[in-house]
Amino acid sequence: MRRLKTTVAIAAVAAMAVVGCSSPSTSTNEPGGGQGNIPGQEKTVDPDAKGPAPEVQGAKKGGTLTVYSQSTPNTMDPTDIYYVDSNEISKLMIRTPTQLAIRNGKAVLVPDLTDLGTQSADGLSWTFKTKGTFKYDDGSEVKIDDFAYAIKRSFAHDVFANGPTYQMQYFKDGDKYKGPYTGGLDYAGVETQGTDTLIIHLAKPFVDLPFYMTFPMFGPIPQAKDTKDNYKNKWLSTGPYMLDSYTPGTQLKLKKNPNWDANTDPVRHQYVDAWDFKWGVDDVANQKQVLASVGADATSLNYGDIDASLVPDLTGAKKSQLVQGDSPCTIVLQLDARKIPLEVRKAIAKAYPSDQIYTAGGLTDLTAEPASTIMPPSVAGYKKYTPHPDLTGTGKGDPEAAKKMLEAAGKLGFELSYYYDNTKPLPQQTSQIRKEALEKAGFVVKPIGVATAELRSKVGDYDAPVNMGQSPAGWCSDWPTGSSWFPVLFQTHSIADGSSWGMLSDPALDKEIDDVSKLPADQAAKKWAELDEKIMGMYIVIPRYYNKMAVVVGTGVGGAEGDGTMGMPFFLNMFVK
Amino acid sequence: MEPVITGTETLTEPTVGTIPPSQGGAAVATSKSPTRIALQRLRDDKVAMICFWIFVFFVLVAIFAPVLAGIEGQSPTERNFDLIDRRTTFPIIGTTAEHWFGVEPRLGRDLFARWVYGARPSLIVAGSATLLTTIIGVVVGLVAGYFGGWVDRVLSWLIDFFLSLPYLIFAIAFPAVIISMVYGGNEGTTPEQVAKVRFISLITVLSILGWAGLARLIRGQVLSLREREFISAARVLGVPTRRVLFRELLPNLIAPIVISASLSLPGYIVAEAGLTFLGVGLMDPTPSWGVTIASAQNYYDSYPLYLWVPVLGITILVLALSLLGDAVRDAFDPKTRR
Repeated sequence: MRRLKTTVAIAAVAAMAVVGCSSPSTSTNEPGGGQGNIPGQEKTVDPDAKGPAPEVQGAKKGGTLTVYSQSTPNTMDPTDIYYVDSNEISKLMIRTPTQLAIRNGKAVLVPDLTDLGTQSADGLSWTFKTKGTFKYDDGSEVKIDDFAYAIKRSFAHDVFANGPTYQMQYFKDGDKYKGPYTGGLDYAGVETQGTDTLIIHLAKPFVDLPFYMTFPMFGPIPQAKDTKDNYKNKWLSTGPYMLDSYTPGTQLKLKKNPNWDANTDPVRHQYVDAWDFKWGVDDVANQKQVLASVGADATSLNYGDIDASLVPDLTGAKKSQLVQGDSPCTIVLQLDARKIPLEVRKAIAKAYPSDQIYTAGGLTDLTAEPASTIMPPSVAGYKKYTPHPDLTGTGKGDPEAAKKMLEAAGKLGFELSYYYDNTKPLPQQTSQIRKEALEKAGFVVKPIGVATAELRSKVGDYDAPVNMGQSPAGWCSDWPTGSSWFPVLFQTHSIADGSSWGMLSDPALDKEIDDVSKLPADQAAKKWAELDEKIMGMYIVIPRYYNKMAVVVGTGVGGAEGDGTMGMPFFLNMFVK
Repeated sequence: MEPVITGTETLTEPTVGTIPPSQGGAAVATSKSPTRIALQRLRDDKVAMICFWIFVFFVLVAIFAPVLAGIEGQSPTERNFDLIDRRTTFPIIGTTAEHWFGVEPRLGRDLFARWVYGARPSLIVAGSATLLTTIIGVVVGLVAGYFGGWVDRVLSWLIDFFLSLPYLIFAIAFPAVIISMVYGGNEGTTPEQVAKVRFISLITVLSILGWAGLARLIRGQVLSLREREFISAARVLGVPTRRVLFRELLPNLIAPIVISASLSLPGYIVAEAGLTFLGVGLMDPTPSWGVTIASAQNYYDSYPLYLWVPVLGITILVLALSLLGDAVRDAFDPKTRR
């Protein structure tokens, strides 16, 4: 699954465990209105989109935008980028074969450097054709081999350990090839023809590959200019902005790229003259500063979610400084189906103090919405079916009724245990609330406190002596379809991959998921929704909430909206008022 | 600054004439111990008395915390989620008849109950640390100063060693070490156990790092005292060493000890709150002012009551104790009197 911003990940961890993200699907989202539910949406694709990108209403040219955050992107190497913050920032510089545009708040898959690709009849190869000629920021021309090289580079997982890994599962020989540094340049998975054709050969059908091609690691990189470890400090740009100066962990300055041609780009704009990213600030203090918008702060924004203590400040004119949007994530509490029988899982859901944990965890309606499904609203195929009893993400829990259920099943005193971080107040307090509520319902509860540093490995160990709360405690789409969710989370192999929800291993279910993933995207969406309801009915997770984005921008920032595929502000349409 | 003792050689010596004429009012012609004279001076000092009664007030608050919370009808750990606005995590009430200081955001725990219970750890930690540092410091100082020779050299080296330990690093590392020693690692410890370990380790850290200053002070005093005639006389008479130390020397050290203790008490309260604020001192669920301040720091303008009540508690207590400490020093040491 896609990796969350570090701060978000910490919040989720704080709640109990690690949010794992790894894969696929994100779609489009609307910057929500604040109240009401997140509107779901169908996947949208626009193969005919052409540059230049439609003008943003009221947009002006010039000025510098300053962007703050407390959390720091871990890398800026396009191949190594998986976290949403660096991914969103890279869109200003790195053009990719395809791209997600935000139109009326919805993400739409559009061509970027290539078309949207054509799939072969057997589904085992995809052909992408470039649309015109493009230049790097140093004036040299983008060659078709540079695309192939970038793909080969993504297999060097020993060098770029953080990057996405779908290519290793889906691409031909993806499990064997080790990248250009140790594996040589011969790789059967990619092929180029002429000056404009890129062919990707697959080991198994990958219907959603064009969505995957929006990741910055698919942006072209010329082999001659690849500096391997050092590329993360100095990279080539194809987008409207290029590197001006970069101090890892502290500051990134971008300036206009003179070799970018607006007429070839259906997504990006070049409204502002420069971007100035500053990291490591104190989010709360900085958000106050941005809200006050005095002097230079008027043209700044902070992309950390707004701190709850600032919510009362958002009155009057300041309300418009809040930008809301979706995130591609669902956060849950796992129940290990291997160790807890179904009746007991139902009793846990009955007793679970969702509301108390929601509030005690510091969640507000700005940053979260109670969840009742597996897929969040931003994923194509999301359907808000009638929630299964007690799986609504809300409610105070009913210990008496749960106790009766336990007695009926003859499981009174069933032992539950889970890991939590006992060095921080927030997870400690929520753990205490959970423990008290479940004990009231007749369970024996054994929370195991561990230090922050150990938590990740502990909750990720499926053989550990606990039966709930394993990781991933949340999942974020890498692209907005069900294939980013079900094949990753609910098949037998998910347990070995360390990315299972509920530890399901049922050959019949495996097959059902496989069948749906082979369907074309538009037919699959409905099937994924049905599967969502079915799997939820197994009570293998207690749904907690869908993430939402809520960030503050200065009064001089125009065109600000959320990118629901990332849960980040969408930089490409922003301008200085 | 080291307090200087003047004219207080021993309790057995007459003290008349050792008090400067300016203190004539207190200098009664009959024999009166310097300690009693100092206490008399203290009683006449209005500021000192006000500060003393403030201190007593806080001690009573701490002792009777359950009673006070009981009068209010709340407990420091009970959560009231129905009083929290789900959309913002802020409480929907201010100060009410049920919740005198309002409730915490997020968890809805009663702030008055947490405040009265929060006085306990501050006073217990500071009191225990003061007691321990005083005892250790006095004993080490006495022994080192009186025996001299290699004993003095070893103990002086120890004093220097402890004075040079980096306080913050030590305070941060110590709880983790204790947890792993007592429970064989952090894993599996409950919040209550961790909180208990933190509590004990905080007292230990403050004591370990705090005794050396007093020990050095006492040693210096003893070095000068042991050459006096009354000590020599005691030795010649064959008084046992222990008796010389504790019956002859110690009474002459009352002033520096009392002064040091009264000045270090507020210091330890600040240290406790400071370390807790930094996340290495006490922790939830222990109600403590430092814990509340740490979680309330972002609310200083949006929910001032949450932050300011514990801050005021600490400020008033520390101010009162500091002024009282100054007054005690003045009372015992007429030369510094203003």
